[in-house]
Amino acid sequence: MIAVLNDLFGCHKECRSVYFPVTQETGCMKVLLAGLAAFLAGSIAVESAAAPPDKLALTGGRIITVTGDDIEEGTVLIKHGRIVEVGADVDLPYDAMEIDTTGMVLMPGMIDPQSPRGLDRPNENVPVVPFLNVYDAIDPSRLFFENSLRDGITSVHVMQGNNTVVSALSRVVRPIGLSVDEMTVEPEVGLKLAVTPRSGADRISQMFELREAFAKLEHELNRLAEEKYEESLEEDENIDVGPGEARQQGRELLRDSDFSDKQRNLVRLLRGDLSAWFYAGRATDVGPAVEFSRHLGILDSSILVLGNEAHRAVTELEDAQRPVVLDPSLYHRSRDPMTGEIEEVFVPRIIHDAGLEFALQPNPSASMAERYLNYQAAICVREGLPREVAFKAITYYPAKMLGLEDDLGAIEPGKRANIVVFSGDPLDFDSWVEQVFIDGVLAYERDRDHRLQKLLRLEREGHEVIDPGPDPDEGDTKTDRESGEQASDAGADA
Amino acid sequence: MMSDIKQCRAEARAIRTAIILLALAAFAPAVNADEGQSLALRAAIIHTGDGDVIRDGVILIRDGRIDAVGDISVPEDVETVDLGDAAVTPGLVDANALVEPERLVPQRRAAEIAAEAEAEGRTNFLHTMFADEHEPENCAACMGTSFCALAAGHDELAEGEICPVCGFGEDIWSHFGSGVRSNLVLSETSSEVVPHTHVIDSLNLRSPDFERLLRGGVTTVFASPDNSVVIGPQGLITRTGGPVRDRVLEPADAVTAVISSDSFRGAVRNRPPYRFLVDAQSRRPNTRMGLAWVFRKAFYDTIRYEKNQPVYGADTPPELAFPVLSRILEGDVPLRMHARQQNDIKAAIRLADEFNLSFTLLEATEAYRCIDQLLEARVPVIFGPIYMDPSGPRARTPETRHARLSTLRDLLDAGVETALSAQDLREEDGLARQMMYAVRTGVSPEDAVQAATGTPARLLGIDDRVGVLRDGRHADLVVWSQAPYEAGAVPVVVMLNGRIVIDRRMDS
Repeated sequence: MIAVLNDLFGCHKECRSVYFPVTQETGCMKVLLAGLAAFLAGSIAVESAAAPPDKLALTGGRIITVTGDDIEEGTVLIKHGRIVEVGADVDLPYDAMEIDTTGMVLMPGMIDPQSPRGLDRPNENVPVVPFLNVYDAIDPSRLFFENSLRDGITSVHVMQGNNTVVSALSRVVRPIGLSVDEMTVEPEVGLKLAVTPRSGADRISQMFELREAFAKLEHELNRLAEEKYEESLEEDENIDVGPGEARQQGRELLRDSDFSDKQRNLVRLLRGDLSAWFYAGRATDVGPAVEFSRHLGILDSSILVLGNEAHRAVTELEDAQRPVVLDPSLYHRSRDPMTGEIEEVFVPRIIHDAGLEFALQPNPSASMAERYLNYQAAICVREGLPREVAFKAITYYPAKMLGLEDDLGAIEPGKRANIVVFSGDPLDFDSWVEQVFIDGVLAYERDRDHRLQKLLRLEREGHEVIDPGPDPDEGDTKTDRESGEQASDAGADA
Repeated sequence: MMSDIKQCRAEARAIRTAIILLALAAFAPAVNADEGQSLALRAAIIHTGDGDVIRDGVILIRDGRIDAVGDISVPEDVETVDLGDAAVTPGLVDANALVEPERLVPQRRAAEIAAEAEAEGRTNFLHTMFADEHEPENCAACMGTSFCALAAGHDELAEGEICPVCGFGEDIWSHFGSGVRSNLVLSETSSEVVPHTHVIDSLNLRSPDFERLLRGGVTTVFASPDNSVVIGPQGLITRTGGPVRDRVLEPADAVTAVISSDSFRGAVRNRPPYRFLVDAQSRRPNTRMGLAWVFRKAFYDTIRYEKNQPVYGADTPPELAFPVLSRILEGDVPLRMHARQQNDIKAAIRLADEFNLSFTLLEATEAYRCIDQLLEARVPVIFGPIYMDPSGPRARTPETRHARLSTLRDLLDAGVETALSAQDLREEDGLARQMMYAVRTGVSPEDAVQAATGTPARLLGIDDRVGVLRDGRHADLVVWSQAPYEAGAVPVVVMLNGRIVIDRRMDS
């Protein structure tokens, strides 16, 4: 084993399909767990537990850095899970493990800007829940995470759905790991505030509940401040200031430990420590969302999550100059209520022309292409948006919205080594995700993605052929999704 | 080498689009080549639709028909338009299109739809069933016209779970949010055997769905009925654009038989994917054996009818159906069988064999499992759509669980004559994108284009008129901004009979 290692580490020869061998020295438990988790989640990752070398170099591929120019035949040098050097001429340290990516295209790991799909349920049935945390509901074994990895998404912002008033605290996770802690990239990101009525509510009651949440907070904070002010006085000291002054002085004395669970995250939201993700599903909700954000004084830390029709409020959006998350359906088609004619609008064009930064989302209900973030970007390029903007909309812009632009969203020194290796240009649909590196660990290899291999019915050398192919006489191999109902169907096969 | 090509492709893209737009600008909207006019198109790539690709070729169009294709010299009196890097294909042919018969309801609130339904006095079965709990605002089952008791609980559904009432999952709105995806032509359901009815009677040739198809480069479709009866109505073959009087190529063509169970709510019933409102309890047959019985009885009754013997019993076809069934037996009316699972495909082959019928297989999700049988029985397949996850009506049947991305590739490799269809899917999942999926999953670009043009035209028996760019065919063609199976390809110009019907040159 050691000999193999020396072989790999010592020479810079082509080793495209090499996966990291287990070593005695670096049998790091965490990585073992990561490997195991991915294995359990669908056995798509490296089969042997991946012990990452300290230094890793991806050489020879075309690098789409996103924030800078593309580099032809460049090298990305990774050290301890971070990118340390990117360029055409990088001196490789003698002990760096080299992975040849010649002919491939490298891009930063894509980012799912907000999704409830990692949760067991997208929404809580209590409308105002800032005291909850998605931590408790993320299920690492969900197929969603496996699919995200397969599609080149290396960071998922797990946030509750839109059917809420004030959501639970969201977090950014990687789609690998056995536990939520292991998956976590950033534990505290923001809260979703829905302006569009949740099911069963109308606009008036929705806005009322939203305002009430903060009015209650204000009321309670005042009471707390008064108590705090009184506590701060000496025993025989008289209250010689007005109530307003007393509250103000008391407010300054409040510490985080004074807040209850119900208050803490809202206070942090108002301070700007957490970002506010306003959901505006319809154009008519954009104005109130921006207005409410201004009223709370948190416009600078607000992001607008738009529905398919909300771009019609482009004036308000332009005025607010806040980044937006677009609906997965990039075209808006509407029927003119008077003439019955169908109009088609390409939404990213309008948002881009308004000078706004936007993030694209994968479309989980699409049957194929729109499920891929890189295809969503390809649609933007097809419709005439600059290539650079399209790439940023799936990497750098969402990273900025999450406040993680120093960590994610580009291939740059200092950032986390989240890199997707495509077989060709990511905007060509015949390119496949060949490898995914997350924090410098090889987390996915297409050659070892058994589920995908099965769907494509590909036989690869050295691997067992899983799909037996046409086998008319055997009954269907039952998967866990299938129940007895299918068994009766099999009987019809004579 | 391959990567170099791709790299160049990526670099050239932006420039190329600009060039094409310039080149096309020369080809003013007034320049058509219908009656009495001629036009020559020069393009970098010409897919003829029968598997050939001509590089730097010319298409000569006269009087709305193709006069010559290839490396030919253009007569002096004919204007030549150089399309530069653009690709030209025949107009795409969808041999199993499910066309929305009347209207589309993109982006409409359920409440509006409910109000409309109320105004029109429409009610239905589920309406009364779940009247108390109904929340029309949230109901995708009925789009506000009816009552899905669980609609309010859709958010509670787990990933992949479907609502037992309406059959949609947690993301119900996505199915209705931006353009309806489930566009099906109704079948007549007064009997399980209705081959004497015609889809053309329920289809509005001015339905906006045709415009959507046309914008996606699809110029000819076989408009299929939906799958609600065992032996369904006769579909029609029609163009998707142009003057209505020229559109219909065959007003009554093949009859579609359904040999699959669109299981709904876990029940095995030959019920349609989403027409659950029609007959939730009362439909026959309820099992696959019942379905086979109805099919058999229809043809045995026909034989008896031809001999003037009495026909009787519960599932006796209507009298008007017999002449059509006779013609199917004689081979005058083509038969198509819709089957997804391998056992259904084999049952279809068996049933057809019993009456010595030849047929075309539709959808054929699990065709990769019975390639040998298909080859032996010489059954051509209209396969598709290709998907990673089933959507729309397919999302609601367990028959798609064993779908493979590679089925089209496997069928073509094995030599089964296979056409590609998008059925109800449009735009990003439409027929042009189905070619893109085919290329992604290992089909060669030439085969992918052929499966969406020449092959379906041949299976429909109309390849002497459309589907291939060869002498004498109608000049129904599409000019794409780049190779049509690429993600960035847009149908820039669509021509029918040499006349421009879609022109997106001004859009950019």
